[in-house]
Order: sequence, then C-alpha cells, then structure tokens
Amino acid sequence: MSERSAAPPSPFVSRPTASPADAARWSPRRILITNLRTISGRAYPRVIGMMREPSWLFFEILLPFLTTSAFVFVYRALQAPPEYIGFVVLGGAMTAFWLNVMWLMAAQLYWEKDQGNLELYFTAPMSMMSILLGMAIGGLLMSCFRAAVVLIVGTVLYGVVFSVDQWLLLLLVFLLTLTALYGLGMVLATLFLLWGREAWHLTQLLQEPVYFVSGLNFPVARLGVLGAAAISTIPLAVGLDAMRQLAFAGSVHTDGFLSPEVEALILVVMAVTFVAIARFLLQVIERLARREGRLTMRGS
Amino acid sequence: MNVLAQAGAPRAGAPHPTRREMAANAWRTFRTAARLGFQIEANWTDPLPFLVYAVIKPVFAALILVVMLEIISGGRADPAFRAFIVIGSALWSIVVGGIAGFAQSVLEDRERYRMLKYLYVSPNDLVTILLGRGIWRLAIGAFGGIVTLSLGVVVLGLPFALERIDWALLFIAMAMGIVSIIALGMMLAAVSMQTRQDAWQYPEAVAGAIFLLVGAVFPLVVLPSAVQAVGLLTPLTWWLEGVRKALFPDIVTAIGGAGSLYSGLTGRAAPSSAEILLVLLLTTGLVTLAAVLMYRWSEHRAKAGGLFDLTTGS
Repeated sequence: MSERSAAPPSPFVSRPTASPADAARWSPRRILITNLRTISGRAYPRVIGMMREPSWLFFEILLPFLTTSAFVFVYRALQAPPEYIGFVVLGGAMTAFWLNVMWLMAAQLYWEKDQGNLELYFTAPMSMMSILLGMAIGGLLMSCFRAAVVLIVGTVLYGVVFSVDQWLLLLLVFLLTLTALYGLGMVLATLFLLWGREAWHLTQLLQEPVYFVSGLNFPVARLGVLGAAAISTIPLAVGLDAMRQLAFAGSVHTDGFLSPEVEALILVVMAVTFVAIARFLLQVIERLARREGRLTMRGS
Repeated sequence: MNVLAQAGAPRAGAPHPTRREMAANAWRTFRTAARLGFQIEANWTDPLPFLVYAVIKPVFAALILVVMLEIISGGRADPAFRAFIVIGSALWSIVVGGIAGFAQSVLEDRERYRMLKYLYVSPNDLVTILLGRGIWRLAIGAFGGIVTLSLGVVVLGLPFALERIDWALLFIAMAMGIVSIIALGMMLAAVSMQTRQDAWQYPEAVAGAIFLLVGAVFPLVVLPSAVQAVGLLTPLTWWLEGVRKALFPDIVTAIGGAGSLYSGLTGRAAPSSAEILLVLLLTTGLVTLAAVLMYRWSEHRAKAGGLFDLTTGS
C-alpha cells in the first residue's frame, strides 16, 4: 500500500485529483448541489431573522396595511366606485414585492460590500445568481405573507368583490410578474454596485415615482403616454394592469392598456430579458472585482 | 493654549462643568452631528441630482393622490379638496423625513458605520448627536414639502393668497408640529435600538400608519368613530389642521364636518384657531413626555443588553 493512500482523508478534498486544474473541474452535479446550498444558505438568515424577531409582523404587516387603508379612505371620501377600493387593495398587496425587490435585493450587494461580505461571495466557488436567488427566496416569504394579509384582510374589511373568470391566467400573470420583478432586482443590484452611489437614495428614488407610473391605485391607461412607457419597462405596471383586468373581469373601470394575454407575453419577454441582462452584468462585476479589486472595497 | 478648555471642557480644579459649559458642549455636539448628517445626506451626488432626489418623493406622492382625485371627479375636482390633498401630502414629507431621520441614524451608526458604541461612550449626549444627525432629513423633507406646495400653486392653481395667510397661526403650529415630529422620531429611534438591521423600512411604515389616522389626505369623518378618536389624540392631526387653516383659510376641515366625532362632541362644525393651538400644545406635550420616557428606557435596555455594539446583518 502506498504512503498516500494510507493518509486519512482530508475534509477539504472531495476527490483525489492530480493537479489544481483538475481539482477545479467540477461535475455538473457538484455545481448544482453547491448552488442549491448557496441558495438555501443565503435564504436561511432572512427566514431565521424573521422567526427570531417577530416585531416585523407589526412593522411590516400591520403598519403597511394601514398605509394601504389610507388610500382606501381617500377613495371613500371621493365616493369612488367600489372597484377602485379593490384596485388599492391589489396594488397594496403588490407593493410588498416591489419593496422586497428594491430593499432586500437591489440595494443588497451594495450593503454586502459595506459589510465586507461581497469579497467572500466573489471568491467562493458559487454563482452570484444563486446568492441573489437565495436573497429573493428568503425575502419572498415575508413579502408573500404581507401581500396575503393585505389582500385577505383588505378584501374582508373593505368588502372588495373580485370577479375572476380565468384563474389560471391570473396565477400565471402573478408568477410571471414575480419572475420579471426579481430579474429586474438582480439587474438593479449589479447596477447599484457599479454606479457606486448610495443604494439607499437610489432605492428611495425608485419608490413613489414607480408607484405613480405603475398605476398602483388606478388604471395605468389613464396616464396615457407615461402609462405606455411604464407598461413597456416596469414589470409591476404590466403585472398590475393584467391582474386588475383578470381580478375584476367585466368591470367598466379596469380600463386595461392591452389584453391580459398580450401583457402576459410582455411579462415573459421582460422576465427572460432581465434575467439574461442580470446574468451578463453579474459576470461583468465578477470579472471587474477579480481583475481590479475595487468593487469589493468598503467605504467608497 | 489649552484646546480642551477652549472647547468648553471642565476647567482645571472644577469637578463639574457649569451650565454654560454644558450648553456650549451640547451646541458643539449638535453642530458637528448636523454637519456630519448633511455630508451623509448630500455628498453622494452633485447638487442638481440631490435637489431632484429631495423633491421627487413628495411630488410623486402628491401626484398619485391628485390623479386619483382627477380620475374619480372626471377632471372636475373641487379646488378646495385638491388644495386639501396637496397640502396634506406636502406636509407629510416633513413627517416622513423627521421620523425617519432619527431612527435611521441609529441603524446607520450601528449597522453600517459601526460607530454607535463609540458615540455612546463619548462624553456627548446621544440624544444631541441623534438630533443633529436627523435634523437634515427633516430639513430635506421640508424642502420637498415647500416645492410640492409651490408646484401645487403654480401648476394646479391652488387658491393661494399671500395676504390671507395667518402668520401667527402658521408659525406657532409649525413650531409645535416640528417638536411633535421630533418626539415621534425619538420614539422610533428608541424602537430601532432594539430591532435588527432590516428595520430600515420601519420609519416609513410608522409614518404610513399615522397617515391614516391624522386626516392628511382625507377628512377624518370617513373613518370609524374609534379611529377618529385616536386621530384627535394625535398632535399631527391638529398641526395639519392648523397649517392648512393658516395657509388656506377657506379650506375643507379635516377634523370637523357633518357626522364627525369632533362635531358630535363639541357641536361645532370646525375647530377655531385658538382651539387648534391649545389641543396641539397639549398633545405635543404628552407625546414629548412619552418620547423622553421611551427613549430613556430603550437606552437603558440597550446598554444593559449590549445592543449598541450588536450588528444584525441579514
């Protein structure tokens, strides 16, 4: 028996290899498992953080519901048709996802840099997309819960009557909206990092203006050209417009920009485009980080 | 030259600083913290993008409400109600900026710059530092509010007349309103000391919830009576009413009106200026007292639990 085979196996070596180059060649299975671990590892602190500090239930569920309620009462004060109350409730539910994308995804790589984690991410043998996906899944739980509370409590409390003919299409549009939104979140995460500006301020800048042009509380078609521009660029605008038409089928107030089927196709295009751009940009920042070593520097 | 003595530190042989020295110290701390706060808020970009950033949020928040109003009224909205919505929305940017400033200073210094523990053990009062750090967000909110209001007058044609402004009511209501906003901000700073990093959105969530209670963009009469009662106990309700009444004397009342709790209790259609100031004074006093107690409790708990040097990145 040779001396090498008698040595105890190292916990850091998954298989004996002839050279470092050979060791760097991973099987597709190993790449997949590592990335799945990455996703669950990055989602873990978010989920556990929620469990350990239940105050978010008050601050991130109850209080935002009250904000949504304020817009309901604006419409009540204006004696608006009941569908408009439903638009507010639907919009209030969808803001949970937009806020999650902006605060817990787009701004996150910048903050990871500030905390010193970003260089660890770049040096670890995993895809940056897996990290962003882990962030998304971790945050998505909270967002889904918040959206469900706004939708259910809002519906019951304010007597919203939905009229859905195409449940499957509605579900599909919702899922496509989420995919496109999180794809956009990944793109913004890399852009915020590349711009090197204050992620906090950029995130703030993309809140009220996006709510406005997306037609959060009213049909986006009422904004004319601005609405058309939003429909072609912002997943929240397209998704909301389609969902509004599907959730209040037959109402004269939904005023859809395009048919829900066409808007679903737009969402497919957006999802594919944003994920592809995000993949390209992540490769760019990874290359820049390794070559120039500046992206991971703290305190810029 | 003794630099410490010049800076207002205790004199040699005197165990405790005099009140004057303490006041000088506090002023210097406030000034330095305010300067730092301004740098943090403003030096991330050039002046023009910064000005756009300062106004974009309140302007679009007002636009959302104005479009809602125009859609429902079919473009024939009552100018008085349009003015009501624009003023409420403009003033609300001061509330959001003021409340967020103090809480986010705690989060930034603890989680991001990791300086909170050093600031706490420095010979300065943490409250003074937080006031200095937060004051610029309040100022930026006020700037955004003024621009929104100006756009409302110029673009939407709000019925504004300089000679009709009740300056005394405006200044007194504004001063007390800002005190109550700062008190609410200190309450939230106390909460932020106890929470994790992801509390960045808490101030906006709190401001959004108060938005419902105070008649910022709709009269309280549309709310259930119990919620109206909570609104009447909130100083911001009276502040908004006072500022609205001072700027636009003929504007719709948020507090009174047929069927409102206020009118049911008092028998009057709308509160007078004196009544607004009196209730504003009382409620501001109560909120300030509650903020002081809450902040002291939170500071004590954070010190005992080692929360000042705890980072909670998630």
